[in-house]
Parts: sequence; structure tokens; C-alpha cells
Amino acid sequence: MATASPAPSGPQPSLTFTRPVFAKLSPHPYLLRTLSPDSPDQQPTRNNGRAPHQSRPIQINTSSLSQAHGSSLVRTGDTTVICGVRGELLPVTAIPQFRPHNETLYDQDEGDEARARKELKDYDLLVPNIELATGCAPQFLPGVPPTTLAQTVSTRVYSLLHGAGVVDGRGLRVWFTPESKKEEGDMEVEGEEEREEQKPQLVAYWVLYIDLLFVSFDGNPFDAAWAAVLAALKDTKLPMARWDPDREMVVCRKGQDTRLNVRGLPVACSAAVFLEKEHGEVGRGERNRHWILLDPDRSEEELCKEVVTVVVDCSDGGETRVRSIEKQGGTVIGRELIRGFVGVAEGRWREVKEAMGN
Amino acid sequence: MTVSTTSTAPEAALGVLPRADGSAKYSHAGYTVTASVNGPIEAQRRDEHPYEAHVDVIVRPAAGVGGTRERHLESVLQSSLSQIILVKNFPRSLIQIVLQVEDSPENDYVNTKLVQASLNFSIMPALFQTAVLALLSAGVPIRATATATAVAIVPQDGTKRSVVDPSPRDVEIAQSVHVLAFTSHDELLLAESEGDFTVKEWDDVYETAKDVCCRPVPTKEGMEMVLDDEHTNGPDLRHFLRSTMENKVASDLHWK
Repeated sequence: MATASPAPSGPQPSLTFTRPVFAKLSPHPYLLRTLSPDSPDQQPTRNNGRAPHQSRPIQINTSSLSQAHGSSLVRTGDTTVICGVRGELLPVTAIPQFRPHNETLYDQDEGDEARARKELKDYDLLVPNIELATGCAPQFLPGVPPTTLAQTVSTRVYSLLHGAGVVDGRGLRVWFTPESKKEEGDMEVEGEEEREEQKPQLVAYWVLYIDLLFVSFDGNPFDAAWAAVLAALKDTKLPMARWDPDREMVVCRKGQDTRLNVRGLPVACSAAVFLEKEHGEVGRGERNRHWILLDPDRSEEELCKEVVTVVVDCSDGGETRVRSIEKQGGTVIGRELIRGFVGVAEGRWREVKEAMGN
Repeated sequence: MTVSTTSTAPEAALGVLPRADGSAKYSHAGYTVTASVNGPIEAQRRDEHPYEAHVDVIVRPAAGVGGTRERHLESVLQSSLSQIILVKNFPRSLIQIVLQVEDSPENDYVNTKLVQASLNFSIMPALFQTAVLALLSAGVPIRATATATAVAIVPQDGTKRSVVDPSPRDVEIAQSVHVLAFTSHDELLLAESEGDFTVKEWDDVYETAKDVCCRPVPTKEGMEMVLDDEHTNGPDLRHFLRSTMENKVASDLHWK
């Protein structure tokens, strides 16, 4: 074959197939062929027309769901995920292992922040759930329990939510300061008891239910899901909640919403490693070529075993903070490649930051 | 950054289950895991692959039934172990690895919940080592052995300290927790990290983990002995794996 085109202009036109047919029949040789062009002046491209280190542009829309407290819609190529954040009130009396603490509302020190992070985990105040709906991709069948992929992505999102500490747990507390009894005109109450009663009490927490629904699935679920979670949390506005002592319940007031405090901007960046030959087929001493495909789509994910995901945060201006590294399923990516990949993730961080900006 | 370890030497026994093709029991850093390996056996129709064996990993927690966390551990182990097993040798078959957690270290500082959704990094090395030992015991052909270790970076008195095989308390106060696995060809097989760290810190963790997993085996000819003071950076896992197998083979051939 003189060109990279798989349609040979030979004497047997009956054997000519179109490109999509070849891609479907033998995906691995097809991708290998497009990635290794015959002439050196041609750039290696993937089946989807992207260069190996090119990711799909990301589009983020927020506040599209009217019933949720915060929502986002994220599109990267044909992967579309919608995320809704809904706050529910959890009275402390409903928490079985609740341990009250003595801090006041105005305690803003480091210890309180760490305690708030622990509260998020201990009382399960962040509940992410991921649904890979039937119809978003052919591999998801109706009427089956959540797939391993959905459970794995959900665990990773949960872990990153807590590990990166994006939600400030102090913003989820609902306080109640008992009113001074002097206003009722009752002069018999002793002064000391009054002061005791005026101390603010923690009466409830907001629990954030973070629901993700994949409308369309074309590879790289974690990056899209995490971007959607972050955009939805940044969009979340919780109503003003206060304790009504007469009705003995927490009531919300409309029109006085406060924005959730989201710290930092961790961005996930994934890639898959495409091997020329699988490990079992490589002879001793033989060189096995590989390509690192950034932001793989569904057909590429099926051909790649080794995946790497790096979550970086460059928002504090200084040295890049890495929030998570996940590399599994192969031995190609070693120390140098992970180091280099953090640089690639920094580029992705700027793209996502720009997409979140509007 | 100083390196310290909190745990004692690992212990292992091979062939503990009489019915399974291969089995192993491993305890280290407070975790005790028993694994059984069966295979190659007939695969279910939906798991059958025309060119390679399907590797099925099942993780059972010490109490209760497995949740999303166990599914995640399974998927991580599955993708790593199918890289070292010669899966191409057994098309259309199944290699099943069942890992039962028997004991995990208690954390005195928190009231532990039975079902936890977050990732559990500190158990991963124990599961990994047990699975590799059980695969060796079952005689499943593998490309290389592999060893894994967990390292946590714990802030202490304004400086940072890396802890090999961290306790639950260390994990709780740690800035970042890392799990790394290396094959016996010194290749990085698995790297999982979470928390807040820089590339420089990850590099240091890589060095520490590599020293634990891939310390060069002392040669028999030179009769080089591993001195006790070399053990300060944690156990020598590759040597441990080797000596466990050597002891097993020696005891099996005792009748000769």
C-alpha cells in the first residue's frame, strides 16, 4: 500500500471495504495503522482524527436544572454527563453516632476546618451517585445492577471529594442561637443561665446528594464526571436554614441563598496506553512500540489496558499540587512518564478553568 | 524527609486450603488475608474471551458484604494481575482469585463504620501480596512476580515524614497516601496516590517504595547477608516472596 488509506486500488475491487468497516472488523490493526503513518512527514492520528496528545474540547453549562440547588452539564466530545446537587437537611438528632463539639460559630481556626472535613466523612454529608444509563452506550443493558464501571467511578469520585477537600464542611452546618429571655420581659431568670443559653448550638447539617447521569458515554468517564461534580458544586446555592424552636424543626427561607464555599480547582486528566503488541505476543528482546492517547474515547478504551489518571490543581499559583495519581493495568508508564504527564495535566487544567469561567 | 515503618516483618503460609488449586495466607501491618486461586477453569459464557483467560478477582471484607469500595479494589487488582499472568496461554478459560480479608487493624480514634465508600489504600499491598503468593502456590504461569507497598506522608512537627505500611491513624492524619507495585523486572505496575502532594514528594515516595519492593536479592555465591540495620526502610518484600517459596519447596521435597 502506497498510502495510509486502507482501500487498495488493486485488481480486486470486490475486496474493498470502507474505513469504518475495517475499524469495526479489526480495530487493533486499524488503530495501529493510523498511528504509524508510512511517510515521516505525516503526523500520527487516531481514528477520531485527533493527535495522540490532543484532548477533546470541554464545554460546561451550569444551572440548567431548576429543581436542584446546583447543576452542571459537561460535554467532552460525545461524552455528556449531567450533574445535579441537591441539599437535604439532616438534624443532628437523626445521626446515631453524633458527637457534639464545643466550638462556637465564630471559631475559624485550623482545627475547626480539619474537624469539618472529618464531619463530612463521619456523617456521610457528601453522597455521590453515578448512573451509566441504558442507551448512553451499547454495553449498558437495561435491568441489571450498577456495572463495575459505575461503582468504580463512584468510589473514585467519593474519594477525591474527601481527599481533595473541595467542599468546606463549615458551610454545611446549621446553627441555632437561643434568643435572650429578657425580650420576653421575664426578669426572674438569672444572668448566668442566660449566658449559657445564648451559646450557638449545632442543630443540623446539609447533606449534599450529588447525582451524575451519563446522557451519552464515549470513553473517559472519570474526567467528565469530576468536571461535572466540580462545576455543579461551584454552582450550588443553599437556602438560608434556621431552627424554629416553636415547631422544633429546621425551616428554610426563600430568596436568601448562600453560595457553597468550594476550595481549589482540581482537574482530572486521563490517558490510555496503546501497545503495538500485547505482552504475551512480544518476543524476548523485541521492541514494543506504544502510544499514549490522551482523553481516550470508547473504541480506544476497549483496545487499551493501561490507563493513567492524574488530578492536578494549579489554582494557588505556586507549585502544582497533585491530588491523585492512578495508574494501573500495565508497565509502560514509569516514573518519567508520570512526571511528564503531570505537565500534560497542567495544560488540561488551563482548558477546564477557561471552560468553567463563563 | 525521614522514613519510618511501624510494622513488624510480614508472615506467610502457602497451601493453607486443601481444596483450592493454590492458596496463601499473608499477614502484615495488621492485615491478615487468605487467598485461593482456581484455574484455569471453564469460564462462564459471558466472561469467555476467545484469545485470553479471564482473570476474576473477588475481594471479601472482614465483616459484611462487599460494596463499591471492594468493587474498586477488585478492578485495580484484576487489571494488575492480568498483566503478570500469562493470560494468552489459556484462551476461553477463567482464573479465579478469591481474597478473604480476615483481620484489619483497628483504629482507636474513630468509631469505624462497617460500610465505607472511600478508597482503602492501606489494605491494597496485603491483598496484592496474598494474590501473588496464591498464584505461585497454584502454579499459574506468570510473567513476573510483583510486590506492592503503601507509603504515607505524615506531617510531624513542621516537617514531613514518610511512613511505610501506615497504620489507620497514620492514614487519617496523612497528607497523602500512596500505593505502588513493582514487577520483578523493576517495572512500575501500579501507582495509586491520593491526598495533596507535589511531584517532588511523589518522587521521594517512589524511591522509598522501590527500595521496599525491589531491593536486590543477596547473591548466594557471595554469601552476602542482609544486615539488620538495612531493614530500617521497611521490609524487603521481594526477598520475602522468594524465601517463602524456597521454604515451601524445601518442605515439599523433604521426603526425598
